[in-house]
Amino acid sequence: MTAPLGLVVATERTPNTPHQFQFWTAIDSPVGIGTIVRVDGRQPVDGHIPHAYGIVTEGFSYTDLASPLFDVLGHDGDPGQSAFAPTERAEVRLYSAAVLRHVPEEPLQPVPMGEVSLATEADVAIALRMDGYLRDDANTGIPIGLYRSGGMDSAIYLDAEFLVGPEAAHLNITGVSGLATKTSAVEWLMATLFAHFPKSKGSVAAVCFNVKGPDLCFLDQPAELEETDRAMYETLGVPCAPFQNVRYFAPFKADNVSLNTLRSNEELLGNVQPLTWGLKEVLQFAEVLLNRDDVDAKADALIDFIKERVLDREFEDRVLREKHRVRSFADLEGWFRDLLSGLEDQGSEHWRTHHVATIRKVRNRLSNISTRCAGLVTNDGHTSDLPWGDFADRAVYVVDVALAEEDAQDLIFARVVSKLREHLEKRDLGVSHVVVFVDELNKYAPADGPETYVRKMLLDIAERGRYLGLVLFSAQQFRSQVHRRVVGNAGTALYGRMDGDELATPGYAVLSAATRTKLATLSKGQLMVRHPHFTQPIFVSFPRPAVMRGRDGVERFPQAADVPRDVGVLRQLRRFDPSLTLAWVQDVIGLHEDEDVLRALHATLAHAPDNVGAYFKSQFRKIIRATPAPAPARTPLRVLPDDDPYAI
Amino acid sequence: MIDAEGAEDATLRARLVQGVPVPAIRAFLDGTQRSQVIGWVGAFPLVYGTSAAVVRSRTERRLSTWDAPLVQHRVYVPLAYVLAHVARGDLERALGAMLEDTTRPALDGSIPAPHPTLLLERATLAVSRDRERLELALAERWCASRGEPIMIDGGIGASEAVAQSSCAVGVVKSHRTLYAEGDALAIVLALKKGERSSVIRVAPRGRSEVLSWYLRLRDAEGRDALWGLVRVEMCVRSRESISERADELSRWLLAESMPLAAPDPRWDRMAYGIRSAEEFLRATTN
Ligand SMILES: Nc1ncnc2c1ncn2[C@@H]1O[C@H](COP(=O)(O)OP(=O)(O)O)[C@@H](O)[C@H]1O
Ligand SMILES: [Mg+2]
Repeated sequence: MTAPLGLVVATERTPNTPHQFQFWTAIDSPVGIGTIVRVDGRQPVDGHIPHAYGIVTEGFSYTDLASPLFDVLGHDGDPGQSAFAPTERAEVRLYSAAVLRHVPEEPLQPVPMGEVSLATEADVAIALRMDGYLRDDANTGIPIGLYRSGGMDSAIYLDAEFLVGPEAAHLNITGVSGLATKTSAVEWLMATLFAHFPKSKGSVAAVCFNVKGPDLCFLDQPAELEETDRAMYETLGVPCAPFQNVRYFAPFKADNVSLNTLRSNEELLGNVQPLTWGLKEVLQFAEVLLNRDDVDAKADALIDFIKERVLDREFEDRVLREKHRVRSFADLEGWFRDLLSGLEDQGSEHWRTHHVATIRKVRNRLSNISTRCAGLVTNDGHTSDLPWGDFADRAVYVVDVALAEEDAQDLIFARVVSKLREHLEKRDLGVSHVVVFVDELNKYAPADGPETYVRKMLLDIAERGRYLGLVLFSAQQFRSQVHRRVVGNAGTALYGRMDGDELATPGYAVLSAATRTKLATLSKGQLMVRHPHFTQPIFVSFPRPAVMRGRDGVERFPQAADVPRDVGVLRQLRRFDPSLTLAWVQDVIGLHEDEDVLRALHATLAHAPDNVGAYFKSQFRKIIRATPAPAPARTPLRVLPDDDPYAI
Repeated sequence: MIDAEGAEDATLRARLVQGVPVPAIRAFLDGTQRSQVIGWVGAFPLVYGTSAAVVRSRTERRLSTWDAPLVQHRVYVPLAYVLAHVARGDLERALGAMLEDTTRPALDGSIPAPHPTLLLERATLAVSRDRERLELALAERWCASRGEPIMIDGGIGASEAVAQSSCAVGVVKSHRTLYAEGDALAIVLALKKGERSSVIRVAPRGRSEVLSWYLRLRDAEGRDALWGLVRVEMCVRSRESISERADELSRWLLAESMPLAAPDPRWDRMAYGIRSAEEFLRATTN
């Protein structure tokens, strides 16, 4: 029992209801907006003293003055006179609180008159219904932070069943940039989820899309923390350490040698791997990039034909001069060229059911993809991908798309998420749950704007992911600008410091004016939490993430400078065999064409053989040049006018 | 002059209170009363009366209740007439210690006439006497145990002990009885803010003798002549020290003109501490 802090008051004009009550306190009581209190009734109901738990949502203070005019008169119009008043006016501190829970819950009655006290840790657990999932025999609690009040700290837990499914799932965080600690909160949440996800629920991994600068580039590096942060890790039982198992994936830059990521410092390359896809992978998701263009049913039919009949098979046709086996964009380009010149020779406008204009258009669109997604899409057919089927428990897979072009980003999102979905459905991903973290959600799932493939996919996770163990953690500055069903399906919603204009949007009208004021002034490390078990939003503090901040990381590990081809190749190969030297690389690649060097490099990276040096060298012996390869894609984005369907 | 004689000056005059206002009052005492007819026996009223008194003491500019407030509930019954209709035993059983007779014989053995309105007035008077008794009991207790300056709403002469205590300051807000007439009255009514009258000695019938003066708390310019005017009472003391002490107490009272006791309509004369005592009793006696 703590000392009473206030007394419930109700009048005819402001009566208590089952969901709200008022109480007054001493002037110096530690109550504030967001404080959780307990009311002990005086009269037993059905033989039980009723208790109600509430959270303070509004505060009032006033004196016995009937009109401000009396105060002016009393001071002779001079505010300086107040220092001489020998008595302070009687003043009231009155609070309204929203009910969190009644015990017993039935019969549901208005909050009784009674004493109000600060909730103890045990009270908080009851008030937030955490007692239901923090039982010794079935503990699915994931600590999210500390609720602090009157010198008491209470750990607040989310229910894993409602955070990663199957009851509910997904988490969304909103708030202004740089102050809301959104990215930090998600990093912290992944750490606490990994530390507390119950064994009985299986395994969990995270796939994080790094969409902004160096945000997530140093998740495996330690941070400098303060004593208060460490204490919180200790209290909440989360190891105060960076993530133990992190793997990075990034496409190449246009030179196809160095990786397009801010984590390019040689010291850190050990767990950075190229993300490159070939024609097959891309064609499966062609619709992601093509649906924005004017691709009609005819073009679709041709693409389907290529996917089913041309790709990866012997293909012969009387119009073609030779047999084709299309495995890469380069092969496909050769196939188109052969086909179109064959038709020209014959003076024919049609091939099978396809018009020559459609053929030209599809060729244009597909070759555009390889240009627009240079660095991601390889011309030579080598694929370096996430370890589908081999995901590890408590591992973090960061896909760095921050420096990639928009098209490449879309393609990466679409394919990675679809693959996750596909493998989770088949239960052969390697883990049973995956948290997908997407920052800047308003960009990828905007409330308005055209329907895009990426948005459709995010909606699909939001609506069906919980049955599969596919969980979306998302963040954005303005929740009101995100598609309603994406955020609406997030069982858990966090709010950091909020912008006033955003708070004025209708979505926040359910919050009291005082709660909105509090949100507009939250300090770093404080969050408002909505969770299905909590009847009302709760305020918690969380510690700084135990991982290096992006901007500290880029200072501590400066980016590798752009380097000549041989140095770039050496850098990639050294990840596997540190004994390799620049002289050796120069000797091996000699005067070979760029094209061949890249093919060899990509093949080596894709296979990651035991003896990297020997494998790399052997690639050059195999080179027999069949068709002349097209010039390496160096063209800047969208050099072709988008509105000209026949441009080549 | 009525029941009064000069104690400071031979003829009453206006004096400017010397020095600046300083708060020195440590407590405020006031009482309240309420009565209502709860029934009739024949033509005779039964009155339920509540009287109460409280001291609000001040520490670091905050007021709080000192000791226990005194509250008394009684039923005022004209026993002499009612007994013709109801058995005494029944009344005593029903009302117990709350029973209060309003027809007790006076010294000459007479009892009030059986007039319902008159009896009603007697009852109200009885409630107000009870209130005064409670006030004085509290005041005596304060003066005996604390001995620090206390402002009492009304006169202090009803209790010998209080009237002789140097810590009690009586402040009379109503001027049903004026202790000045003729030129003297004109001087009192013309007092300016911060001015007081000469000290006089007053001894109404049945009350102890005290010293008293008029004091203007607020500027009455453009208001009625009694605006902001109070009459102060203190214990009798040696002639030489009267002026100085009257000025001192006046400074204390002038210091209490803030904060305003509004919205009480008597805020021009009422100290905030006295209002606080009334509000306290209003909130707690129901
Ligand atoms: N728990 C915390 N307490 C105090 N400061 C924090 C905490 N978490 C993060 N910060 C700081 O707040 C700043 C912004 O954090 P960040 O997560 O990048 O915000 P956002 O993603 O909303 O822009 C960073 O400088 C970070 O160090
Ligand atoms: Mg951020």
